[in-house]
Amino acid sequence: MNPIRKSLYVFVVLLITAVFLAACSGGDSAPATQAPATQPPTAAESSDEMPTAEPAAAETMDEITLRWRTRPDNQAEIDVYQSVSDELDSEMSGVKLVYEPGGSESSSYQDVLRTELAAGTAPDVFWIPGTDIADFATRGLIMNLRDMADATEGYSDENFYPGPMFHLTFNPETGNSGEALWGLPRDVSTFALYLNLDLLAESGAPDPRELAANGEWNWDTFLEVATAINALGDDIYGYGQNAWWGPYGYWINAAGGGFYNEDRTACGLDTPESIAGLEFESRIYNEYNVAVPYGEDSEPPFLAGKVGMFQNGRWATPGVRSSANFNWDVVELPDGPAGPSNWLFWGAYVVNANTAHPEEAWKLVQELTTAETQGKISALGANIPSRVSQEALDAFLTFTPPANNQAFLNGLARNPATEGPLWAGSWPEFDAIMGPAVTAVLNGDQSIDNFAATICDEANKAFNQ
Amino acid sequence: MAAATATTETKTTGHTILRWIKAAAGWHLLLAVGGVVGLGWLWAGGGTERVIVFKVVASLLLVALTAVNALAAVDLLRLRHRGRVVSLAVNYLGFLFCLFAVMHRAGGFTGFNTLANNFGRALPFLFLALIGVAISNLGENPGANRKMVGRGITAVGGILFLFLAGLATAGRALVISLTDPTTLILFVALFPFGLFLWAIWRQPAAARLGAKNVDNEMLIGWAFLSPNFLGFLLFIAGPLLFSFYVSFTDWDAFGNANWVGLGNYGRALNLTLAPLADAAQRANEVLDVRVYDELARIRLFGRSYVIGAQDKLFWIALGNTLKFVVFAVPLSVIPALFLANLLNSKVPGMKFFRAVYFLPSVAAVVGIALVWQLLFNASVGYINYFITQITTFLGLTDPKIRWLSASDTALLAVVIMAAWQWLGFNTVLFLAGLQSIPRVLYEAATVDGAGSGRQFTHITVPLLAPTTFFVLVTTTIQAMQIFEHIFIVMGTNPAGPANSTLTLVLYLYQKGFQRFEQGYASSLAWILFAIIFAATLFQVQRQRMSGSGYDA
Repeated sequence: MNPIRKSLYVFVVLLITAVFLAACSGGDSAPATQAPATQPPTAAESSDEMPTAEPAAAETMDEITLRWRTRPDNQAEIDVYQSVSDELDSEMSGVKLVYEPGGSESSSYQDVLRTELAAGTAPDVFWIPGTDIADFATRGLIMNLRDMADATEGYSDENFYPGPMFHLTFNPETGNSGEALWGLPRDVSTFALYLNLDLLAESGAPDPRELAANGEWNWDTFLEVATAINALGDDIYGYGQNAWWGPYGYWINAAGGGFYNEDRTACGLDTPESIAGLEFESRIYNEYNVAVPYGEDSEPPFLAGKVGMFQNGRWATPGVRSSANFNWDVVELPDGPAGPSNWLFWGAYVVNANTAHPEEAWKLVQELTTAETQGKISALGANIPSRVSQEALDAFLTFTPPANNQAFLNGLARNPATEGPLWAGSWPEFDAIMGPAVTAVLNGDQSIDNFAATICDEANKAFNQ
Repeated sequence: MAAATATTETKTTGHTILRWIKAAAGWHLLLAVGGVVGLGWLWAGGGTERVIVFKVVASLLLVALTAVNALAAVDLLRLRHRGRVVSLAVNYLGFLFCLFAVMHRAGGFTGFNTLANNFGRALPFLFLALIGVAISNLGENPGANRKMVGRGITAVGGILFLFLAGLATAGRALVISLTDPTTLILFVALFPFGLFLWAIWRQPAAARLGAKNVDNEMLIGWAFLSPNFLGFLLFIAGPLLFSFYVSFTDWDAFGNANWVGLGNYGRALNLTLAPLADAAQRANEVLDVRVYDELARIRLFGRSYVIGAQDKLFWIALGNTLKFVVFAVPLSVIPALFLANLLNSKVPGMKFFRAVYFLPSVAAVVGIALVWQLLFNASVGYINYFITQITTFLGLTDPKIRWLSASDTALLAVVIMAAWQWLGFNTVLFLAGLQSIPRVLYEAATVDGAGSGRQFTHITVPLLAPTTFFVLVTTTIQAMQIFEHIFIVMGTNPAGPANSTLTLVLYLYQKGFQRFEQGYASSLAWILFAIIFAATLFQVQRQRMSGSGYDA
């Protein structure tokens, strides 16, 4: 063989070998979980049996690798989560932590996660929103941690807000809460109205914060303020919200209605209270015309100084803080006909049902939800701690602006409806039916009477027949 | 004496070759027996959790494996060339299967994610090895010393390169993974597959089995074809067949799949028609609302009817998809034809404009959609800003179009965005078509007194027929599969206001990846395939009927 050709052959063989070696060596992000079992354990099975999956190939016997993931809202959060991961890594002996910042909501965090779970490459510990808990638990995708929790000294469900813990401890087999443990809440959040104080002052409307302090902040005064601000110009809006179930859910809940019936086994959107709430919201758009058109993203016009009151969660605070060039603050949501109302949004750290290291994963979940860790995250301003801890709440209140941080905490105390999964049906299906129907009402494409007459016929199909 | 020695050597070689062939036959016999044992295990209780279809498919594969190996064994023992071909095919495929399976089980494929880390730091030493190769080989007569130095550098560079690329870690990972019995069996099986592949491929064995040059050329041809062919089978045909099977089940991507027959197709296509007492009567008074939702109302022969659908969203998605095709295809094809004519003129700087119009086609859909999302914003978007400026200037009423938030404009907004992006690519295709039309035809037409309009309608359009056909077919298929544009531009609610931008691919994505219904999503994919196939077939038939432009 020609020597040059021979040398080139050697060169190419080296190259190919190296590529495969580089791949097989796995680097830092080798999957720590095994491919899913042919039959994922059911919710009941997973509570009784610990997975027997073997450690991943690249792991040594003395140190295990745990991958964990959460859905951050911005780079600052990614940096804090990374530093938290690094600190925990040094504290947890024999465990190497690999933090994977998941994509944002708009980059399909949950879709990616589901695909990875199906492929067996999902992390050991991951965050999911509260609405997904039932789907993940009943399909055996997340581990029931109850036995380990019971054996853990100092652990108590009562350290966290009861709303999320009702769902996180729900046993779908018996229908009772307190019998399982699907994870621990990462954080909670509530809605508030972000106020453009400059527009408010210019309109001469009463200050919602003062109205709230005097107990006069209700739908009538809300409408009065929104109308006054809206009158400032063609391109100025009194109120804005984004098009998803949370914002319109508030109007329904505050009127005394709700998405479901009392025991969450059927649609409750056609009750007179629910209809009254939705009808009022519909009038905001179609009669009073004081809001950013429904379906338009209200955040850009609010940040551009064209919206007086913008309904959003605590997660919007860092963005407003960095982008708003006007004076702003927040106020509680106005009281509805049925009194105060809000949402208690939450998400939880859960453990992959196929993790090879359940004990260590459970330990990590606990570490990620300590008051100290939550305090660090809360200091960024995006999250309210899920742990009922003054230390964590104090850390949250240090983040200003907004000056009125207490408004978010008040939301927790003022009759919030807990964001929750649908144990008796499919939340995604329910949402897919409810969302377009509500949108049609708020856009004036469907009458409220027609909505009331038909919505539950369709939405009840999302419940187990 | 020399002749006798040669004869003895030949005989010895001949005996050795024969032993290799017999060993290979034994290996195939072993595989055939393995196939039979596997078949017995499958039906004697092994894998009882598997559904019957899986068992049947696995059985067919095992029967094929047994038969092929038995055939190879018999033919090899009878020294038939067919045995060599079958043996090579089996050993080649077996070797690849074991190699990739070991790679998979050792985490090699997921480890490719980290390639950049390891490979990047090792790369300089690869260049060092390359320099060594150059030193020892370049020049007409490299001296022995230079060769030795070059080889030394190559060796050092190569070894360092392999170590930094992960030789030690990979070796350790491989050893640990071999503690798993399945991985160990696959790893061990690599050797007989590889060994017999090599032994039967070699020239002496080929000659002994009666191989001719043409046979070897044929095998080499198949070997070159195999990466693409196997890739097609594995990544296209395989998933296609799998999704076809899944479409008859209720698989959720995690657990077992239950066979539901044509249930998924029935659920999607199930419609009912119920008469109404009057046009205002509610649908839930005449439809079984446990099964059907109101889809539409029609009036036939003076009477009102309501159409109910078991899956209303499927029909809405189908309707939106067809609407999108009807608007997006002409909007991205007809302007492209005129634009191509403009860009075909020999004006200085035209290449710049060609590049400008083509640019959106190569830009990432995500980036484009995000820009359009901002442009379409009803309150702070630039499109409405300019409309406001113009209407104010003209003293007209500002329509304040809600591009993405109103059910009657959302799909139109997506049509505009998609057509804008596809326009450039279609223009380039038309441009290529235009440049293939002989200039002499235009010159002749000019001499005959035909104006540019008549030249366009009587020469350009007919002779562009093949290009137009291609553009129409590809754009229609593209439009039928619209997904990314909608998924991004519509933000957190891709289905749009009142499901006005819900298209078939978006719907099957939601069903498969967001609502745990992979089985149903697969059936929707096959229904979409049938629709696209029918549409394409229709276009092909039309093209055949009208004939090629050059024949006209």
